[in-house]
Amino acid sequence: MLFVILLGSSFLIYNLAAIASDPLEELRVSSDPKVKQQILVLIRDLQLNVPPPLRYFNWLKGVLGGFVGDFNLGLTRSHESVADAIGHAIPISIRLVLGATILAIVLGITVGIVTALRQYSKFDYAMTFLSFLFFSLPIFWVAVLLKEYLAIGFNDFLADPVLSWPWLLGLSVFAGVFWSSVLGGSRSQVFLKFGIAFSANALVLFLLSETHWFAQPALGPLVVFAMSLGVAFVVTHLSVGLSNRKVLYGSLSVSVLGFALYLPVQQLFTKQFSDLTLWGLFAASLLVGITAGYFSTKIDRGAAIRTTSLVALLTFGIIYVDRLMRTWKSYSETDAINYRPVPTVGEANSLLEPGNYWFTTLDSALHLFLPTVALTIISFAGYVRFSRGSLLEVLNQDYIRTARAKGLTERTVIMRHAFRNALIPLTTIIAADFAGVIGGAIITERVFGWVGMGTLFNKAIGGQDLNLLMGVFFVTSSLAVLANLVADLLYSALDPRIRIGK
Amino acid sequence: MKATRIARAIAVAAVGALTVTGVSTLVVNPADAAVRSTVVVVSSNAMTSLNPGTPDTNLTINADIAYVTGMGFNYYNDQRNLVQNKVLGSYKIVKNTASDFRVAYTLNAGKVWSDGTPITGVDLLLSHVLSSGAYSKAAGLGDPSNTEVAPLFNSGGYGGPYDSHVVGLPTLSADKMTVTVRYDAFQPDWQIMGPGVAPVHALELMAAGKKTLQSVSANNTAKAKFLTDFKTKNSASLKKIANIWSNDYNIATISSSTNPLLLVSNGAYIVKSAVSGQSTTLVLNPKYNSGPKTSGLKTIVFKYIDDPTAAAQALKNGEINVFQGQADASSVAQLKAMSGVTVAGGTSACFEHVDLRQGAGPGTSDDYTGPFAASNNATKNAKARALRTAFLLAYPRQEILDKLVKPINSKAVLVNSSFLLPGQTGYNTIVAKSGVSKFTAGTQAARTAAALELVKNYYPSASASNQVVDIDMLWGSRANTRRAAEFELVVAAEAKAGFNVTDTMYGADGWGGELDNNDYDAAFFAWCPTAVSQTGSNANFQSDGSNNHIGFASDSVDNATHTLETKLSDAQITAQYLIVEKKLISDAVTLPIFQHPAVTGYTSALKGVKPAPLSPNLVWNFWQWHF
Repeated sequence: MLFVILLGSSFLIYNLAAIASDPLEELRVSSDPKVKQQILVLIRDLQLNVPPPLRYFNWLKGVLGGFVGDFNLGLTRSHESVADAIGHAIPISIRLVLGATILAIVLGITVGIVTALRQYSKFDYAMTFLSFLFFSLPIFWVAVLLKEYLAIGFNDFLADPVLSWPWLLGLSVFAGVFWSSVLGGSRSQVFLKFGIAFSANALVLFLLSETHWFAQPALGPLVVFAMSLGVAFVVTHLSVGLSNRKVLYGSLSVSVLGFALYLPVQQLFTKQFSDLTLWGLFAASLLVGITAGYFSTKIDRGAAIRTTSLVALLTFGIIYVDRLMRTWKSYSETDAINYRPVPTVGEANSLLEPGNYWFTTLDSALHLFLPTVALTIISFAGYVRFSRGSLLEVLNQDYIRTARAKGLTERTVIMRHAFRNALIPLTTIIAADFAGVIGGAIITERVFGWVGMGTLFNKAIGGQDLNLLMGVFFVTSSLAVLANLVADLLYSALDPRIRIGK
Repeated sequence: MKATRIARAIAVAAVGALTVTGVSTLVVNPADAAVRSTVVVVSSNAMTSLNPGTPDTNLTINADIAYVTGMGFNYYNDQRNLVQNKVLGSYKIVKNTASDFRVAYTLNAGKVWSDGTPITGVDLLLSHVLSSGAYSKAAGLGDPSNTEVAPLFNSGGYGGPYDSHVVGLPTLSADKMTVTVRYDAFQPDWQIMGPGVAPVHALELMAAGKKTLQSVSANNTAKAKFLTDFKTKNSASLKKIANIWSNDYNIATISSSTNPLLLVSNGAYIVKSAVSGQSTTLVLNPKYNSGPKTSGLKTIVFKYIDDPTAAAQALKNGEINVFQGQADASSVAQLKAMSGVTVAGGTSACFEHVDLRQGAGPGTSDDYTGPFAASNNATKNAKARALRTAFLLAYPRQEILDKLVKPINSKAVLVNSSFLLPGQTGYNTIVAKSGVSKFTAGTQAARTAAALELVKNYYPSASASNQVVDIDMLWGSRANTRRAAEFELVVAAEAKAGFNVTDTMYGADGWGGELDNNDYDAAFFAWCPTAVSQTGSNANFQSDGSNNHIGFASDSVDNATHTLETKLSDAQITAQYLIVEKKLISDAVTLPIFQHPAVTGYTSALKGVKPAPLSPNLVWNFWQWHF
């Protein structure tokens, strides 16, 4: 069935595209004396004298050749192999969109849950308003604004990285409003929370600004330790609850170990650091986490190991980010960057000398920054609305009332009984979104100058490049079909009532 | 407990140390722009090949990179004049009779490739292989005119005037520094038909499987081998070279592992690296001596940014330095608003024109019978000519220029000659004498009134509110907003002269394919000449010209265009142009309108940028760029 769908749709697309395009168009108005030869060459190269329905079978022959190890999607009009072009483009598309998609899913689901728990609160209304606002923004416009303020404006700011008072107060008021509305409570509590968030934020910003921190950001071991402790508390609270002291101590000991290893690990962070070492360190953190979890408790070891492993990985993540932040200053000072570290366009700075792992990593991270923010803003709204609706529906189910009646803590009810069931409908859109990731973000790639699948598709249409168009179409349609299958498999993993079989 | 305390003490000390070192280097000074030696140029395509000579790799960006990395005998400057590069060598006509026309190309001694190999006349011979279909057939390299199989040298050079007029093989002088090319008759465009240098030794070495740069003596041996292969038409050797020339140069990723023989060139810069779909980095060629001295830029990067808004913002953010932008009013305003950015206006190679159909086009058999059709019947012919004249009189050229072009290029002027563009030698003479004043004199209102009178002679009921002559107009697609706006202006203006202009049948994508069709009465689009040539417009107006889509036929014009194919003085050329132009005006065949505007924005600190209308547009004078 899937095969028939692919076959039929590719036949249709091939013929429609072939009929709609005229590769000779430009040559018809050319005044070049060699135009006759050029037309002959084009007809010869693109087999324009073969009617499209027959030419389709030529193309299909190459695709079916895959079964005998001779896969061939043909050549683009610039004589590049289509398979190679797509092979180059897929990792770039994934790099561009995957991070943003994951971020949008995590943020969207988190905010969705919070809004569902605080239904009809001011925070809920504010988030609903924001998500609809973001949902309706065109990406090319968001991109222009982000570039103007987060890149050009921020780079200008870095020349003299001191926050002016209006900015400082404005940002602090925003933080105060945000946190007080998220945390909620009675009126006096809200005011108290606003006051704390406002003054803490203002103080931190003031210190950062006065020490020119933005031009030379770093966390330092103490902040890393504090953040790691925070992670330990939050992760433990969400997974097993703070009342489970044994697991909490396990998590905290992982944080302490991370702090102790902070300086020794810096010795590994040399210029020659490689992705291999990075994976090695990730594995080591995981091992530390597993060990700590295993020895922290004898009951429910699985949950303990999950908790401590996550704490260990996040702690290492913080240490790694800290190292990247401390690269910022010397990175900015290179000739290639010239004190304007946030770029607006491209995948990497081609002037940067290769050979320094931290420079190149920071460079790709910074080039990813704006597209990721833009894509997250746009796609986050959908997840917020979906997860909010889905969780509200689940919370009204009888088994939630049963769970509460049993005397389970609210945390267990939400995280174990409600959240997991709320994920099931979300799976469908997540799977479809991942297929879309490979399909490319045509406009995003264009405005940020990335050459992924979207650009190939755009180029294929604009340049009337039939083989390229079909190559992109073939890959994306196959992935869409595959994503449906994966969604079906995920259902069974999440919902014990669904079983795969006859 | 004690251990923790010690650890904490160490940590605090470490933080302190970090903070102190941080504070001590607080002051941030943006680097002085004057010391920068790198220019990042935006290209609207990514490089696909180091060889722009095949039909598939003939992209602007490939040609630009080839131009910067290779010097030839001449180049176009920003005034559309062909300038000789006397540093590399010189060329001159050495014989000119009715059936024997010879041009000798002499290289100066001591010029070298980037690998140190001397440049000699042997390096000029590959051009013949790439341009002569006869040589390709004789050497067993395939027939370029075969409609099934491409020739082994998949060159875009076949099929031109060189191919049809060259006689025998180019001859090499005894000192191997001069190559003489013989043609069967005078070639009006002989200056731009000539050979260019190619690193034939590198091709030979790669054909022999070499992957590294070789010694100069090995290079000279390889060069001698090419000479033998060329003279003896050694099919086996040439096939290997053909494969390398047609395929191996097509690389989008270049790094230190790329075969350095592919990068051998004689330009001021050589390709150092390229990231597929992103950028190409060129660095100074230390052995360069084939052209004008450079002004000190060490690196030129071509960065691919498709989206003009993105490129403009990147310019503002200092990521790029030069950007040839989309020529629309809002982009220009955006660029002009940026500080530290200089905006240079100007024109591109294309000029817009309106054509009125006379008869059947070359590709069609049925006849054109619309209101503009020329006829052997004198009365009918006079009527059609009057209607065409009226149509052109009412055509709102000035309004189009003022509303659609001037906001972008405030210096834009109307183009009044179909052969020459404003500023070119002879343009003023032609405009003064061709009779085009008929369509420029007075106000547009007066011309429209005159047009309406002409129409009324044949259709007495015609008026500004009663359009009696139906004109179907062919133009570009609606996706092109300027053309769409142009069409709206034309419809409104022609209505005042009694014409009902529609585009009911056309105006869609794929319009170019409809040019040979007989069903339209008028068309407007652009010619984009890629070179200045005295015969460049012949194909448009010769009765059998390949671009004569409107079916215009005139014996006097055919005679003039044939005369243009011979050796003429500037005055004689102008005289022939005038013959054609006068006929085009009196018969109301076509009118040029405006040159397409071009916009370049660049970092103000960068000096010497002078965008040129002809390829290689922006980079033509890269050696003059400096900070």
